[in-house]
Amino acid sequence: MTDPVLDIQHLEITYTVGAGTFYAVSDVSLKIYPRQVVGIVGETGCGKSTLAQAIPRLLPEPPASIGSGKIVFRGTDLVQVPKRKLPMVRGTGIAMIFQEPLNSLNPAYRVFDQIAESIRIRHYREMGWVKSFQGGEVPFDYSKPALTTSVGGALTRSIVPDGAIEEAVRDRLRTRSEYREEVLRYLRLVRINDPETILNLYPHELSGGMRQRIMIAMALSEKPSLLIADEPTSALDVTIQAQVLTLMKELIDEVDAAILFISHDLGVIAETADEIGVMYAGRLVEYGPVAEVFRSPRHPYTKALLRAAPSRYKSDGPLSTIPGSVPNLSRPPPGCRFHPRCGLARPVCRGEPPPLAPVDGAAETEGRGVHRSACYFAEEVPGLP
Amino acid sequence: MGRSLSDLFVFVGKRLLQLIPVLLGVIVLTFIVSHLDLSASTLCHEWYFHAGANTLSNCEAKYGLPLPTQFWNYLTSLVHGNWGAAVSGASVGAEIDVRLPATIELVLASLFLMIVIGIPLGVVAAQYSGRFGDHIVRVFYLSGWATPTYLGAVLVAIFVGPWLGLPTSGEYSTVIVPFPQYTHMSVVDAILALNFPYTVDAIDHLILPASVLAFINMGIATRMTRASMLEVLPLDYVRSARMKGLGEFWVLYKHALRNALITTTTVLGLTAGGLLAGTVVIEEVFDWPGIGQYAYTVIGGGGSSPNFDGAIAVVVIFAIAVVVANLAADILYGLLDPRVDWR
Repeated sequence: MTDPVLDIQHLEITYTVGAGTFYAVSDVSLKIYPRQVVGIVGETGCGKSTLAQAIPRLLPEPPASIGSGKIVFRGTDLVQVPKRKLPMVRGTGIAMIFQEPLNSLNPAYRVFDQIAESIRIRHYREMGWVKSFQGGEVPFDYSKPALTTSVGGALTRSIVPDGAIEEAVRDRLRTRSEYREEVLRYLRLVRINDPETILNLYPHELSGGMRQRIMIAMALSEKPSLLIADEPTSALDVTIQAQVLTLMKELIDEVDAAILFISHDLGVIAETADEIGVMYAGRLVEYGPVAEVFRSPRHPYTKALLRAAPSRYKSDGPLSTIPGSVPNLSRPPPGCRFHPRCGLARPVCRGEPPPLAPVDGAAETEGRGVHRSACYFAEEVPGLP
Repeated sequence: MGRSLSDLFVFVGKRLLQLIPVLLGVIVLTFIVSHLDLSASTLCHEWYFHAGANTLSNCEAKYGLPLPTQFWNYLTSLVHGNWGAAVSGASVGAEIDVRLPATIELVLASLFLMIVIGIPLGVVAAQYSGRFGDHIVRVFYLSGWATPTYLGAVLVAIFVGPWLGLPTSGEYSTVIVPFPQYTHMSVVDAILALNFPYTVDAIDHLILPASVLAFINMGIATRMTRASMLEVLPLDYVRSARMKGLGEFWVLYKHALRNALITTTTVLGLTAGGLLAGTVVIEEVFDWPGIGQYAYTVIGGGGSSPNFDGAIAVVVIFAIAVVVANLAADILYGLLDPRVDWR
């Protein structure tokens, strides 16, 4: 079995704002394996974006702070990495696509310069021309892109077949036209028509969908081993959303990275992810293979969430809602955070928070493909209305 | 989108046309204010009674005319490129030709210091906003901003200059043999003369006046940079730049500052025009032969006789400087911000 690319263990993240402390992420454990797409779903404010940004340590600290837990990325606990070394992990190690494509590109630079910059960062690191970051139990250069080093045999195929140009100029500084060729390759990869024109445009001259494609091209051009997509489609309108999603799905097959896909949209997760984690009020309440979780949810929240999702198979009745409201994360309810809104809640739910345990008495407690639920009465969930 | 070179020319051309009414207004106002309470007999007898009959009659011939005629005479000569003359006959134009470049050199030098020191300080202040680094920077630029020009200039000339061993008077040391002054900018001329010791000497003389001028006005550059950096830093594209794997230096200076500069440039442009007028005290204290010193002389400073044509010329030049600096800032703004349309 290969080692996970990312292994989050009991992560706690709090925000200290004014006098209050918000428990944004509590006791989240998650493993992502090479070439796996993990989707995290949950409603607004459940801590999924906080989780996404905490992985490359992108959260502003303060106000955010990582209380305890580990974020083990390919053997190194990123929580322990000093701040000045973090940039060496970002980009080539972990890349990210953000929610707001409209503002995520620098308005002062042309598309070419922004993608070329990413390629340059990766190239310099590949060649060892810049300081890189060594860590982990086995001395291993984490800042180098996954594809120049093979980990567990899984990350061997290149995102884009390395062109002749890249091979020829691997060990020297590239000229502008060589960068141009490579930028064009990535623009074509994200299916941009007429990349020669787009190259010279500024972000404000592009549509939202185009900008998001460019963000994706930028992230891919660093050949990361982990790609985090934080709601990459939610700021786009429906038709563009569909295009970007199709693109993401196509790329997932081509790209050799593990992907963490964050969304509040169950449909998006169902289409893209292999495994799904459901978050509620800062906790991971259910985790498992997408098909299984969707077919037989084992947490009352997941069940309610699936029921609330509009579906074309349902009759025209009113949309189903979950009674009550999301708890205030500065004073989360004791025990299971869902119990005030839960039909199955019993006194035990107010005590210790239920652990994320395998359902149906599965022997395996760790590893991939195990359906787990953080509910004391997971066996009763299928019987819920 | 209108961002081609021809659009830029049209843009600059339009702005230069706007300069004409501004200048006309400035000329009319200064002329009226300076000549309104002027009686030729008083003026000429007070200042030129002992200067000889020739000068006296010259004076009366010029200032004895009705005011509109005087204005017309002034304006027609100005249109012909003649800035007029003092009553003594000294040409104003000749003085300006020599002095304006000297002042421009001083202003550019202090602008340079404001940019290379003031802007990075603003970035540092924003980076450590609310923390120790921010406070240190604030103490530095506020002490400059709060210093009266005359006090700062005099203190530097008396104490800092000797302490650093830097000259505090003039453009060159007296030992320097006269050499051709092509541009009348001390450093540039020394470089053009291919004379290294002269160049060093000219730079030595420039350091103190330029530093004082820069120190006093640096607050604007630093404060504006800090404010606009604080606006830019929380934006998404700064986070993207960080996520690319860029180090903090490149995130701050390549991605954030590039956008923060758009605002700072505008304010610096407004300041640059004012810097020229701010040189009056500094040039007088450091004996810098520029237009500021001339401004002091033409209004009768240091016991000299008043020179009305010179006074109008100085005011007009200061006005042109403000307008041109604004124009330069507008052009720079357009170059820095790709979203600006020149049409």
